[in-house]
Amino acid sequence: MNTQDQSPGKPRRSLISQWNHLKEQLTAYLFLLPSILIIGIFGLFPIGYAIYMSLFNWRVTKGGFLGFDNYDKIVGDWGGLLLFLLGVALLVAAYWLWTSAFRSSSRGVVVAKVIAAILLVAVGFLLAGGWGRLMAGGDKKFWTSMMITLFYAIGTVPTQIILAMVLAYLLFQNIRGKDVFRMIYFLPYITPVVSTAVVFRSIFSPRETALANTVLSWFGAGPLKWLFEPRPFSQILFGWNIEGFWAGPSLALVTIILFGVWTFVGYNTVIFLAGLGSISKEIYEAAEIDGANAWGVFRNVTVPLLSPVTFYLFLVSFIGTFKAFNHIFVMEVPSAQGTVATASVEIFSIFYRANNYGYAAAQAIVLFLVILGLTFAQNKLLGKKVFYG
Amino acid sequence: MANSTQTDTGKTRQTGMVRTPFHKTRWFARLPIYLILIFGAVIAFVPFFWMTSTSLMTLGETINRKWLPEIPQWENYINAWNEAKFAKYFVNSVIITITTVVGLLITSVLAGYAFGRMKFWGRDVIFALLLSTMMIPETVTLLPNMLMIRGAIIPLPGGSWLNSLQALTVPFMANAFSIFLLRQFFAQIPNELWDAARMDGAGHFRFLVQIVLPISKAPIMTVLLFGFIGAWNAFAWPLLVTTRETWRPLMVGLWNFVTEAGPETHLLMAGAMISLLPILVIYFLTQKQFTEGIATTGLKG
Repeated sequence: MNTQDQSPGKPRRSLISQWNHLKEQLTAYLFLLPSILIIGIFGLFPIGYAIYMSLFNWRVTKGGFLGFDNYDKIVGDWGGLLLFLLGVALLVAAYWLWTSAFRSSSRGVVVAKVIAAILLVAVGFLLAGGWGRLMAGGDKKFWTSMMITLFYAIGTVPTQIILAMVLAYLLFQNIRGKDVFRMIYFLPYITPVVSTAVVFRSIFSPRETALANTVLSWFGAGPLKWLFEPRPFSQILFGWNIEGFWAGPSLALVTIILFGVWTFVGYNTVIFLAGLGSISKEIYEAAEIDGANAWGVFRNVTVPLLSPVTFYLFLVSFIGTFKAFNHIFVMEVPSAQGTVATASVEIFSIFYRANNYGYAAAQAIVLFLVILGLTFAQNKLLGKKVFYG
Repeated sequence: MANSTQTDTGKTRQTGMVRTPFHKTRWFARLPIYLILIFGAVIAFVPFFWMTSTSLMTLGETINRKWLPEIPQWENYINAWNEAKFAKYFVNSVIITITTVVGLLITSVLAGYAFGRMKFWGRDVIFALLLSTMMIPETVTLLPNMLMIRGAIIPLPGGSWLNSLQALTVPFMANAFSIFLLRQFFAQIPNELWDAARMDGAGHFRFLVQIVLPISKAPIMTVLLFGFIGAWNAFAWPLLVTTRETWRPLMVGLWNFVTEAGPETHLLMAGAMISLLPILVIYFLTQKQFTEGIATTGLKG
């Protein structure tokens, strides 16, 4: 266009474009309105309201203002909490030192590693000391439920990821019936938890003729009480009489861990398969020319190249276990004597059965803070990758 | 058109004959692979087999060590259906699921389009805020939401929503995951299409309905499937907000049956079987869509 056209047209056009701009803005907000309303009201607002509730003596209806009393009841010993958090901070520092040491000069490595090792010892003392004071001074039931959550996470996450990686690697080979296998592995993930829990409760029932005990009998082992067994599995399996954290999860919790692993292996397998698909085949061909055998290829090519996927799955699943509720709630039986109550189950029972809303809200906020911390750590560890669920 | 865009999103599509270390080996060398894979499949499948088999047994057979029923007791299904009042709950679940999924599709298509193809003030901040809701545990939101549904926080149309269809559907009619998924897809649609549509005088809404939706079948299907599964399997929330039978869904009905029926294992299994049949049917019909949807979205995260 030449200048003659532009001068008269300019003001009118900009007015139109301004109007269009405004219209586009309004349309966009209109499109967003339903989602934002729903997510805002049922997703974001509850957090603020839970904080508000946690400050009151709230049993079914709102009572008197308590300030931080509910939190005080949970923590009990703030010095203990401080020690524990200091331990976590030092752990992060030690990790940072350890990883950055590999990048520096050889003399720096030794010094940094020595410092990191000393730090780790300090971390151990701080974590154990802080934890002991929290258990002694605070709400023992709540901190125990946190410990059970940690057991659940440590029990399910590595197991399901290792199994899934092996299955995905084998599925990725040139085999028949790939789709059928994938379909079967994925099945547990999509079936309703309540329905599958019905079966697992029957398979792992303490009856001698239950499926799990039948399988045990093939190996000459006696029947176990499974879901109904509150004693730690280390005591049942090895006869050790340890108490507290190092005794590990109860056999009931181990059974629930098996249920969790069974559910999620297929999901992880599918994600690993996608990751395997994005490894270029030239790398495999090069390894083959170099004379690597199947195990060597898996060990030195597949595992390292899959590590971003593994890392992602590990962290997302770990945080997922801190949110897990359904899987544990539907498997809990009174005979397990609370040895399977993870944090979310414990919180649920405090407001659903004990009707102590204010205190449950305070506990939920503490759990949320823990998850926030884990997510933050994950974002730092994953670098630029953002957390989406 | 649909196919070309689909391959853009689905990195997993390259499943062809990849030359992996085993491609030259003979079938018997691959036997261990098959054995491990079959073992895994057996573990994954045994609970379903056990469920089916037990659901057809007599009470006596469930107590004794039996793998298969002598004579299949089909009437177990009828008994479970009647005893657990499944007729009512099944219909409830169907209505709840369809309502939720329709609502979810409408809200997330609109929001996904706005985030993916429109410019407006505060877009990135709102999107980040939306995604952050994904890490909020249900445990935190359950309690305030229950008070909300009872009308204790803000006045609701009709007083309390306890035991109502709205309570079971509205909170699930939008989620960040679906919006994110659709946004990713919509943002990839070439701008030329939009320019051409605008030349013809179409606005955003007409462009969305007439052009974008027909070429977005794959991601919409993924949202639909996950919405279906989520709504059908929902448990904790319905347990809280259905104190009466009026709108109680199948999962809560099954759970009540579990806590009440006690030793009637065969009926419990029949009930469990009924409750997951719709999921199984949907899954077998669309399983490729499922696994690919989860692979692409999971990895994108």
